[in-house]
Amino acid sequence: MCRITIALVFFFSFFVHAQNNAVGTNEKLVFTASYNMSGILNNLAEVRMETSEVKTSQTTLLRLKCTASTFSKWDHFFKIRDLYESYVSPTTLKPYLYKRDINEGSYFKAMKYTYNHKTNTIKTLQQKKKKDGTIWDENKTISVQSQTKDIVSTLYGIRTLDYSNMTIGKSTEMIIVFDREEVKAHITYLGKENISTVLGNTSCYKLSISTNKVDVLKGTNSNVIWLTADENKIPVFATFKIAVGNGELKLKSATGLRH
Amino acid sequence: MRKVFIILGLIAALLAVILSVLPLSNLAFIPAILALLFGIIALYLFNKSGASKKIIYYIFLLTIISLVFATYKSIFSEPEVVNMEELQEKENESKQEAIDELEELNIDAEDLEDINLEE
Repeated sequence: MCRITIALVFFFSFFVHAQNNAVGTNEKLVFTASYNMSGILNNLAEVRMETSEVKTSQTTLLRLKCTASTFSKWDHFFKIRDLYESYVSPTTLKPYLYKRDINEGSYFKAMKYTYNHKTNTIKTLQQKKKKDGTIWDENKTISVQSQTKDIVSTLYGIRTLDYSNMTIGKSTEMIIVFDREEVKAHITYLGKENISTVLGNTSCYKLSISTNKVDVLKGTNSNVIWLTADENKIPVFATFKIAVGNGELKLKSATGLRH
Repeated sequence: MRKVFIILGLIAALLAVILSVLPLSNLAFIPAILALLFGIIALYLFNKSGASKKIIYYIFLLTIISLVFATYKSIFSEPEVVNMEELQEKENESKQEAIDELEELNIDAEDLEDINLEE
């Protein structure tokens, strides 16, 4: 299940560097994640993506929060309660702090990145639970490229790209830091497509995503995401293929949109 | 040959019933359809021989029960997330911790010139 969660997040993530005109400050997107078992899709978990303002004494940042929770019928088999957060600039979505808290059955892992954009380094703290129940801390500072972002900020960052003038087949390279390693991802614009969603029959930008980390996303053009072809550019549907199978992510509700 | 189809039919019907009461109820349709097929073939073979068909009716009964369960769950059972208190508490704690940490950071003011995103 950890692979599925990682793949879902990677699936959405790639590097962007643009002004934010799409993501609002009080947005709430709810998705249903389904997994293909013997050719039949089963609803597995609810994925939420929420934004909110966070005020400090000096400034105001945007909190990007993603959670994944298994539906109650699965909780007895494997209970998932994952939390991903990124605290970013509201105008550029440049990240300053990233936190990840994974609770999947008896498995626990937490990760924190504190960015230093002046030195292009990230101070990381990883926490893992040992077999005896104690928490093991590991501090490490890593050097990254200037455009490297965490998965949550890139997840939202894809919406700041301008697809309206993009030619079909155009591929963009992105750099994501995940598990304290930089991963190169490629996003390919596949054109516009009308699909049926909870918002009605919607015109969407169709994008294919692949990474150089072979154990995350499998296949070519098997990992596809559809963003609404409007100013909000919200993800409405996604299909993914990973080592342990395939599935899809479907938008259930969207509130607090900016446009 | 008749016995083979009866055994296969019974196994498939039992599997369909078990799957239909589990969260994997959608998967119950596969063995249920197989059980129906095996049951129909067994019924055809029994009709030719004229032997008792009681066991075949049990296969059909189990299959119908599993199909009713699985169909009901797929139509009327809306998946929901419960026991979210722990996660919500963690979210609040994490946010407060993050604010404390962000206070200590020297954030580039240029990026934060326009903090009001609402239009």
